[in-house]
Amino acid sequence: MKRIGLLTIIALAALLVFNIGMVMAEDDIPDDIIFTEPVVGVVFSHDAHVNGAGMDCESCHDDIFQMEALSAQQETDFNMLSLSEGRYCGACHDGEMAFDANTRCASCHIGVIGYNRANGVDGEHGGE
Amino acid sequence: MKIDKKQLDKLNNEGVENLSVEERRNFLKMGLMVTGVFAGGTLLSATSAIDKVYASANQFAEKYPYKPHYSMILHIDRCIDCEKCKAACVKTNNVPSYGFRTTVLERPIPDGIDQKREFLPVLCNHCNVPQCTRVCPTKATYKDQQNGIVMMNTSKCIGCLSCQLACPYNARYFNEEKWAVDKCNFCFDTRLTKGEDLTACAAACPAGVRIFGDLSKPSDRVYREVHTVSRTVWVLRPEAATKPNVFYTRG
Repeated sequence: MKRIGLLTIIALAALLVFNIGMVMAEDDIPDDIIFTEPVVGVVFSHDAHVNGAGMDCESCHDDIFQMEALSAQQETDFNMLSLSEGRYCGACHDGEMAFDANTRCASCHIGVIGYNRANGVDGEHGGE
Repeated sequence: MKIDKKQLDKLNNEGVENLSVEERRNFLKMGLMVTGVFAGGTLLSATSAIDKVYASANQFAEKYPYKPHYSMILHIDRCIDCEKCKAACVKTNNVPSYGFRTTVLERPIPDGIDQKREFLPVLCNHCNVPQCTRVCPTKATYKDQQNGIVMMNTSKCIGCLSCQLACPYNARYFNEEKWAVDKCNFCFDTRLTKGEDLTACAAACPAGVRIFGDLSKPSDRVYREVHTVSRTVWVLRPEAATKPNVFYTRG
């Protein structure tokens, strides 16, 4: 009786630890973030970085980015020059670790059209 | 020549075998002459078509001798649809929300490896062969003979919207405050004649997409990029044969 009880406890513990790992990877990542400053429509996808590229929270938080969404755009130096100097996204997007932030602009810059589409604005265009 | 039908009906068909050699020869000569006229005409139009395609820079300047010859080249790989150009245009030229003088279109590229979309800013192309000025019944719109800008004289516009229909680039809209058709005029009255070198949109673009310049000057950046052989430069809807002055490129 006692041995069965111990086995059950060990099995339950193993299941719990295993599940925590799974839960952390798939359910806890936030939605896509769309920056609006200094220009409208720059998308950051947690899904693409965490599930796609296999990165963990510590890769960016809190050294490169704060946890709070859109806190980066409160900074006055959140611009392409900073990225080319290795700050913010430029920490990895330098051409070595990931594609150079100076290339393929429209992969992150989804623009006013992309921002409006994500927010369900009719016609997808500003002022049309 | 008047042919009496009754007389014609009374005539007998003599049969082809009864035609003289003379008559046959005359008939063939007439046929060949008509064919020759057609062939000659086709040949003539072919040579002028070659001229249209391979016209030299000198011939272009001769045919369209605007000074300055205002034009724009857009580096669309740099466009991020921030729409600061559109905002600047609206502010500078009082463009209402229901219309646009310039706008940004999106081209989805689902199979793209590097990016899945491309942005395309569009505006009046100030064509060298404008379709809008052809159809205007009052000459309210016309191509300025000094600088090549397709202008609007709002006092003459009757709002028939023929120009809007004729434009292959969807560049015109009806402005209800002016009660006339409105479109981009390269900020001629709001900036160019007030000491500014650039249009509002070109000055506002943070990414270096819109390069505004003068096609009559070989030192100008627009002239240089349009004439660089290794650069792929295109115009919108070339099949409309409008010879636009707005060019597109990447890189």
